Amino acid sequence: MKTVLKTKLPELFEKLANNYTVFVPAKIEGISRFAPYQNGLELALEENVLMPPKDIFFPQTEKMYKFKAKDQYLEIEDLPPEEGQQVIFGVRSCDLKSIDCLDQVFLTKGFVDAFYQDKRDRSILIGLSCVKPMENCFCSSMGVDPQKGVGADIQAYDLGDKVGFEAITEKGRELLGKIETLLVEEAASVPAVEKFVLTADIEGVPEKLKNMFDHPIWDDICRKCLNCSVCAFVCPTCHCFDIASEVRGEDGTKIRCWDTCMFDEYTRMAGGHQPRPGKKERVRNRFMHKLRYFPERYDMLLCTGCGRCVAKCPVNLDITAVIRKIKEAE
Amino acid sequence: MSDKVKKMQEIAREILEKGEAKVVIGWEKGTHWYLSPPAFIDKPEEVERLVWDDFCHNNLSKYLKDYVNHEGKVAIFVKGCDSRAFNRLLQDKQIERDKVILIGIPCHGLKDQDKAKELGENADIPKAKKCVECRYPNPLVYDYFIGEEKALDEVAAASEARDFSDVEAIETLSPDEKYEFWNKQYERCLRCYACRNVCPACSCRECIFDQTRVGWIGKANNASENQFFALTRAMHVAGLCIECGECERVCPMNIPIMLLNKKLIKDINLLFGPYDAGVDVDGKLPLGHFDKNDPEEFM
Amino acid sequence: MSVKEAQANWEPKILVFACNWCTYAGADLAGLSRLQYPPNVRVLRVPCSGRVNPQFVIRAFQRGIDGVLVAGCHPGDCHYVTGNYFTRRRYLLMQRLLQYVGVDPERFQARWISGSEGPKFQQVVKEITEQIRAMGPNRKLRDAQ
Repeated sequence: MKTVLKTKLPELFEKLANNYTVFVPAKIEGISRFAPYQNGLELALEENVLMPPKDIFFPQTEKMYKFKAKDQYLEIEDLPPEEGQQVIFGVRSCDLKSIDCLDQVFLTKGFVDAFYQDKRDRSILIGLSCVKPMENCFCSSMGVDPQKGVGADIQAYDLGDKVGFEAITEKGRELLGKIETLLVEEAASVPAVEKFVLTADIEGVPEKLKNMFDHPIWDDICRKCLNCSVCAFVCPTCHCFDIASEVRGEDGTKIRCWDTCMFDEYTRMAGGHQPRPGKKERVRNRFMHKLRYFPERYDMLLCTGCGRCVAKCPVNLDITAVIRKIKEAE
Repeated sequence: MSDKVKKMQEIAREILEKGEAKVVIGWEKGTHWYLSPPAFIDKPEEVERLVWDDFCHNNLSKYLKDYVNHEGKVAIFVKGCDSRAFNRLLQDKQIERDKVILIGIPCHGLKDQDKAKELGENADIPKAKKCVECRYPNPLVYDYFIGEEKALDEVAAASEARDFSDVEAIETLSPDEKYEFWNKQYERCLRCYACRNVCPACSCRECIFDQTRVGWIGKANNASENQFFALTRAMHVAGLCIECGECERVCPMNIPIMLLNKKLIKDINLLFGPYDAGVDVDGKLPLGHFDKNDPEEFM
Repeated sequence: MSVKEAQANWEPKILVFACNWCTYAGADLAGLSRLQYPPNVRVLRVPCSGRVNPQFVIRAFQRGIDGVLVAGCHPGDCHYVTGNYFTRRRYLLMQRLLQYVGVDPERFQARWISGSEGPKFQQVVKEITEQIRAMGPNRKLRDAQ
């Protein structure tokens, strides 16, 4: 396996940054997230980052096009295309799986989202294996292999003081070639993953949920929820958005922004009717979408077990506990 | 199990068995040892879930808004800050006093969850920031009381101490430094509205940030809109904030929200005389009345 | 006009929230009396200075206003008896909050200007315009567009 010392990683990023925008896990203002590499950036490689790589492909606010409207005339102006290849280093298996989920939504079933596709096509993904699961991780329960993700161009392995690389795709092989001088070929074994603190038994849950829309369980689960959107905004797979216009006089910009089923506006109809008026309906939708609707449509769960929502929920509405309650429900 | 927890469960059982209330809202153990999220107990046999420990952070009074149209009574446990939140809601006539049974529990000061996670179970975990500054550890209003009433004497001593040094530190910066500081904080705001939704002062039926058709706030997430949110929220809770510090605790982006709230509290005290929200139910709100002799700076 | 020229020709934009009963009448009197004041102000008539809520002020800064003046009846003269007393409390706080987040104090001001104080209106507008002109365009709280 081709390896490099962790202390040498900045050098490697530096080299890549000549040709690519290199996103690396970093700690900025106390929050860990993916950020373009630059000198002096504080890397965060010990644990997975708080903010998932979702916003690289699907930003919280994305400009779609500009327009000018005067009297009955309308002009639409495309925004200048973004260019250049980007490398995203250190994507954990859970987040790689989440990108797979986003791909399903934005690229399959005859619907191709040009904004997403463009960013996705310009990206090279370098996965990073996990050795010690964080206390809120439960990816292995959701069918994700913490050591090897899906859809990576290169899989990197955490070898303690070193990182090992294995090219998976042609794009990945090419990229590795460019940093070959920094890598050493040596025999290395990937350390085994330590025990998970959190687990979930998902077996049969999507099927069981088919008959649980009116189950009293939701009355109980929803009660402590505050209907904020911490869970959705730190979730690597949540992908709902809302399109809005920013208008200043005759000029305007169409933007799309993250939205969430926790907000009142999400389902409120033009006439004012609100089909999901309260906590119960919204909480039910969140878990139904993750564990039933998505598997029905795309044959995969919309939860990858990254544990971010468990870590950040103000009231500890833990999805593994919800899964357990669903399992136990009669 | 501590005596307090036993007593808690006893009272809850009694209330539920007698049918005095249909639900008791307390705290239970969560996913980890340092999490004690809200618990909703409907049956006497479930009272064993109830706990009282160093991590019962959630302000339960917030949930009373969900039970406004509920038949029968609701029982909730209240710490000092929860009781002030209760008084606030009562003062705004958001809830009815006789529909709620309050079980007061004197608070010893809760511990910092992030530090707990970092240091481990056996370490000496520091108090949460909001609790270090707490001046009302004991419930101000209750129907049942757990623990010794004499602890109430300590309140007087505690209320002397009032620390605005963190606010003052920012006040001494130049305008540009201040702006840079706050811009940096709110650049990372996700506008998840957890701070608003957890806040017992935020009890409007419809929040202005949800009135998107009116267009108060743009959908886009950027420093400008986020600061519009931050400043408007701060102004809207001015004189209502009971300093429970929940907004800052729940913020996933670690934004020092209490620094804004405390600034307003400091100025309210300075300009309009000493005031603590949620202490006197019959009192007038600082921005809900006026004094003809208020400071005059607009001539 | 090039960007450079536009910068050189920059003129402060000042928004005045004027209460219908006093300040607006005062501004009217200034006009009737042919009192010259800088054309940098945009007067926005509101029923009472108490109508102006904090969002209006922040939104003005967001959309490119360089200075905001809230003006209403003198204490005791409010058409609605007490509106301006509430305004006074609110904006005593708001001024301090805005300064706390880095907005320069000159950019947000409040004044009492009665219907007979045309000259005062002229004077206040002149003063504020000069203060803001000296400070340059406001960049704080501004949105990107």
